[in-house]
Amino acid sequence: MFGLPQSTFLLVLGFPLFWILYTIAFLLLTKHWENDGDEP
Amino acid sequence: MNATVLAFLVLYYVVVLGIGVWTMRRRETDDLEGYLLGGREVGPLVTALTLQSTSMSGYMFLGAGSLAYTTGYWSLWFAAGDIGGGVLNLSIIGRRMRKLSQMMGALTSIEYLEARYPSPLTRLIAASLSVFLLAFYALAQFIAGGKGMALVTGLDYEWALLIALAIITTYTLLGGYLAVAYTDFFQSLIMLVGVVWILGAALVHVGGLTAANHTLAEIDPTILSIWGTGLGFEGQWGVVAGAVLVFSAGYMGWPHVVTRHMAMKRPATARLAGAYATVWNLLFVSAPYLVGILAILILPNLDDPELAIFAVAHTLLPSAVTGIVMAAIMAAIMSTADSLLLQTGSIASRDLYERFINPRASEQQILRVSRACVLVIGIIGYLVALVEPPAVAFVVIFATSVLGSAFAPAFISAVWWKKANTPGAIVSMVAGAATSVFWELAGLAVTTTLAPVTAGLAASTVAIVVVSLATQRSSPVPAHILAAMEETARVGPIPETLMATSDFALRPEAEEVESMLRDTEEET
Repeated sequence: MFGLPQSTFLLVLGFPLFWILYTIAFLLLTKHWENDGDEP
Repeated sequence: MNATVLAFLVLYYVVVLGIGVWTMRRRETDDLEGYLLGGREVGPLVTALTLQSTSMSGYMFLGAGSLAYTTGYWSLWFAAGDIGGGVLNLSIIGRRMRKLSQMMGALTSIEYLEARYPSPLTRLIAASLSVFLLAFYALAQFIAGGKGMALVTGLDYEWALLIALAIITTYTLLGGYLAVAYTDFFQSLIMLVGVVWILGAALVHVGGLTAANHTLAEIDPTILSIWGTGLGFEGQWGVVAGAVLVFSAGYMGWPHVVTRHMAMKRPATARLAGAYATVWNLLFVSAPYLVGILAILILPNLDDPELAIFAVAHTLLPSAVTGIVMAAIMAAIMSTADSLLLQTGSIASRDLYERFINPRASEQQILRVSRACVLVIGIIGYLVALVEPPAVAFVVIFATSVLGSAFAPAFISAVWWKKANTPGAIVSMVAGAATSVFWELAGLAVTTTLAPVTAGLAASTVAIVVVSLATQRSSPVPAHILAAMEETARVGPIPETLMATSDFALRPEAEEVESMLRDTEEET
């Protein structure tokens, strides 16, 4: 893909994909954070 | 010097100074919390972009291009970690650090460390290390700024350096953290536009990424390898780990970056800020590396690889766009330099001056000392950059490796591990800093194939775990800190009784007096 060796392709696309999934999981798992605040 | 390029740069500086003046007029900068943390009123988008633009210094336009030009696709290992640096930082320590720092009443990241790991030694070691390394790191940005300005304007280096430094110092003095955060926000957008534009132009010029990679393979197939041009890093997983860690996990130890958590409007701000950081990183981070790789085809005989991105812009883009790209390069340098300057001034005034020299200093006195420090560091930086400028890339990598190694485990454990105690944190900071400095100076990265940041992080992590566990009986974590940590873990409003009032460290005594008063009332 894109004229790159497979390992390089994984490096170029795999890590961004991993961080996208990490961010989505972070957003889903922290929905309840919205209740967190300063005011008692 | 092209008039259009100059016009864009002047416009850019006017906007940046305008933001400084605007934030000065807002009342949040009047008191210490306003000046150092923007009154803890920063929303998710500005938090994300100030965090990212502060982390990405002039390195992204000078060092990243150079690294890619000389090592090929191997350089993308740095981008691989960097893309997730923001969300990793915000998801692991963002919400908890914001909450704990407010309960502890801490205004600087070092003050926060002492509140969590109570001992004057914690503050003295952390503040001294930070002031030295952050000022050193800022010096590299001044030099890069001066060189960049000289390159763009055609002015002598001395004058270019003076102008760059005067602008950075002025708006940092004017508005404090808010000025820095909002100029960072503006600068991050300029950086994004600049780098995307230049990448687009480079891709069009070489006929697309696939065609470029085929041509690169004909020149030298190892340029496309994950082990670097000439397979120079083949099998060196320790070096690869260092490349991934330095701009991801390492961020969690940078005092000027973690301060962003403390300034967030609400603990939950970390959530959206993490998402914004990832989006910005996906668009920005890999681009400078790819431009550096494409520069191998566009400008194969470049004398100075550090100028790869600038040279590609100069070759391919019309003057107006070159002006935007140049503004983007200056933005990357200045957005890091201002944060470093503010943090160094804050730590020197609050964590060294107030803590150890004049404990009775008023808020206004500390504010004046902080501003004086910014000015003094600017003047010293100017003189050093003028007389004996060190190599920019070396200073940046050295300073960030030592900062990450020294502080990351202490900041992470502060909110996640109740057993992390004062001796553990102190030994961890010393071990991390000493190991990474020794690794660098002794050249052990080459013989061991382990990067200084990897060795330093390993040493500081082992140190905090082993020493904390070994000293639990002699140095237990105080009850008021454990209570604050439990509250930090809980999601919900902070109870009134746990909010910082005067001095977090005096809370046990205050509770004792309160209980005595209650007893007396009951008796009467």
